[in-house]
Amino acid sequence: MATVADRLGLSKAQLGDFYDLEPLYAPEEKLIRDSVREFVKAEILPHIGEWWQEGYFPPELPKKFGELGVLGATLPEEYGGLGASYTAYGLINREIEYGDAGMRSFVSVQSSLVMYPLYTYGSEALRQKWLPRLATGEVIGCFGLTEPDAGSDPGSMQTRVKKVGNNYVINGVKRWITSGSRAQVAIIWAKSEDDGKVHGFALDTSTPGFKAVDIKTKASMRASVTSELYLDEVVVTETDKLNVVGLKGALSCLNQARFGIAWGVLGAGFYCLEEAAAYAEDRPIFGVPLASKQMIQMRLADMLADLTKGSLLAFQLAKLKEQGKDTPPRVSLAKRDNVRAALQAARAARDILGGNGITTEYGAIRHMLNLETVATYEGTDTVHTLILGRTITGHNAF
Amino acid sequence: MKIISIIKQVPDAEARIRATASGIDLEGVTFVIDGMDEYGVEQSLRLRETGLDAELISIALGPKRFEEAIRTSLAMGSDRAIHIETDEALDPITQAKVLANIIKEEGAELVFVGGKEADWDSAALGPAVAEALGWPHSDWTTKLVVSGSSLSVTHDSDEGSETLTLPLPAVVTTQQGLNEPRYPTLPNIMKAKRKELKKLALSDVGSPSGKTQLLRQEIQTKSRLNKVLTGDAAEAAKELARLLHEEAKVI
Ligand SMILES: Cc1cc2nc3c(=O)[nH]c(=O)nc-3n(C[C@H](O)[C@H](O)[C@H](O)COP(=O)(O)OP(=O)(O)OC[C@H]3O[C@@H](n4cnc5c(N)ncnc54)[C@H](O)[C@@H]3O)c2cc1C
Repeated sequence: MATVADRLGLSKAQLGDFYDLEPLYAPEEKLIRDSVREFVKAEILPHIGEWWQEGYFPPELPKKFGELGVLGATLPEEYGGLGASYTAYGLINREIEYGDAGMRSFVSVQSSLVMYPLYTYGSEALRQKWLPRLATGEVIGCFGLTEPDAGSDPGSMQTRVKKVGNNYVINGVKRWITSGSRAQVAIIWAKSEDDGKVHGFALDTSTPGFKAVDIKTKASMRASVTSELYLDEVVVTETDKLNVVGLKGALSCLNQARFGIAWGVLGAGFYCLEEAAAYAEDRPIFGVPLASKQMIQMRLADMLADLTKGSLLAFQLAKLKEQGKDTPPRVSLAKRDNVRAALQAARAARDILGGNGITTEYGAIRHMLNLETVATYEGTDTVHTLILGRTITGHNAF
Repeated sequence: MKIISIIKQVPDAEARIRATASGIDLEGVTFVIDGMDEYGVEQSLRLRETGLDAELISIALGPKRFEEAIRTSLAMGSDRAIHIETDEALDPITQAKVLANIIKEEGAELVFVGGKEADWDSAALGPAVAEALGWPHSDWTTKLVVSGSSLSVTHDSDEGSETLTLPLPAVVTTQQGLNEPRYPTLPNIMKAKRKELKKLALSDVGSPSGKTQLLRQEIQTKSRLNKVLTGDAAEAAKELARLLHEEAKVI
């Protein structure tokens, strides 16, 4: 006799860990994940639909993230970090993006694109100047690499820096900069008129000549601040200069952030799978639950398969990263394919929800639209494909 | 003062539990610290935060996996923990005897126990611990204030709620409404890695023999008789009373 128990589908936890990675996490990694999950449930999920709709990033959120302890989590404690593993950092990203990719973007930029270069390339004075306050969320940071005419090809940047006396002067425009208008510190990449190479600077955004203007017309990442930065004769000192020469400095930051994205998008993807599975169970169609239809089950099965494979990829990438083996092509593969998996899942969920799927009462369309940005930033799908192609063949096809 | 929180680990409320012929299938189920026990840990933290000079100790009696619940309590803020590790399924009376030994050894003055366990739904452990210690206890506690060597508690009773004063040492069982437990912040999770987690075997604490033995587990199935009584109301009522008395044996 079929009892109700026999028909029980998978729980959320079982969907999210179909290949049983759970025993492979360290105890503190699980606790970190669980706390971030609770935080997202309490602080983000109840409001995110409205924030997104309104194009609003709550100004109190950075400090809340700071109190929770997610900012710069992998850095040593003396700079406000936790000394957490990259697996823990991955799990943090996944849980936050379960809430919203815009929230995760804030944390990624602060941790991987601002705190990481300050820690890795900054003098002790520069580290002390910014890192502890970035960790508490008191100070917000942004990362300016992209320009109106230089995205996938950052080497063609037009922003210039030249040495004047003991200082440096920067001129140029940066576009699509997450947290730009909220930031007190901006990591700016500029080409030197002296040596022709790219250099990075941590500049205080209250310096005269710096201006940030928000981009308001986004149909994606609406709960995240994205700005254009204008740098007009901005003077920075020698101490504000990062100790790295060439584009590789900026690219090393991207390698960090892309790792976080490979994990983060799984959160958005699993949210969509859970939502679609629950919706299909509750929605009657032709007298039976939508979930009992083969066409729906096929799509749920595809979502589970893609996201499960993505989870294994992300997990092993974290293990590689912890051994310093996270080569850029390995990161490219995980970023590209996990974003694809999540985007496919979000699109399928959006469709399974029918008309309800086009409202922000549900998460699917918000995640789907956010993921369009995630597919574009930190290297477009094409860029990562070309990196992999070059790795396989040795031919540069950019 | 030493405050002890007794904790256990239970399946997550969102878990989908399956029953098999041989019992409950816990494969793929995620476990968490029992929510009722979390109230106790939280309350001990709040007592300290409001000025009580106290050492906070978590104690768990159960299989190895309970360690995760213990780590949660340490990450929330308990100072140290003791895990009496056993795979034996002990009844609450026997558990209470074991726990009472440790509580006495530690010289604790206040013990929190979850009001009711989320998995087996038993509310016996708290009162049993109090009994084993010979201490007063307050069950289903929703409010608690420590002043000097006494304890003022508000707890639910069948008719409503009452406020009592108990002398310390005492046992308090918790319930929803006592507080809103915090989730551990990440820095506290990392700090908890360095806190002491002492492991004991059942034999270290007297290895008592259980009063009950688990023979078999099965899922309760409620099948209906689908019996409809006909006739006039008085007759039907008489027949119903007879059936309830003689067949169902409930009255
Ligand atoms: C919401 C948001 C936030 C962002 N935040 C930041 C930030 O904080 N800091 C920052 O520096 N940048 C940020 N970016 C910028 C982002 O990284 C760029 O948009 C991205 O790198 C793509 O650059 P682009 O927009 O100039 O597109 P382009 O580089 O012009 O690409 C256009 C198209 O051409 C394709 N393409 C590129 N190269 C080739 C090729 N060789 N062959 C064939 N096709 C190719 C691309 O895949 C894409 O489809 C953000 C972007 C968004 C949307």
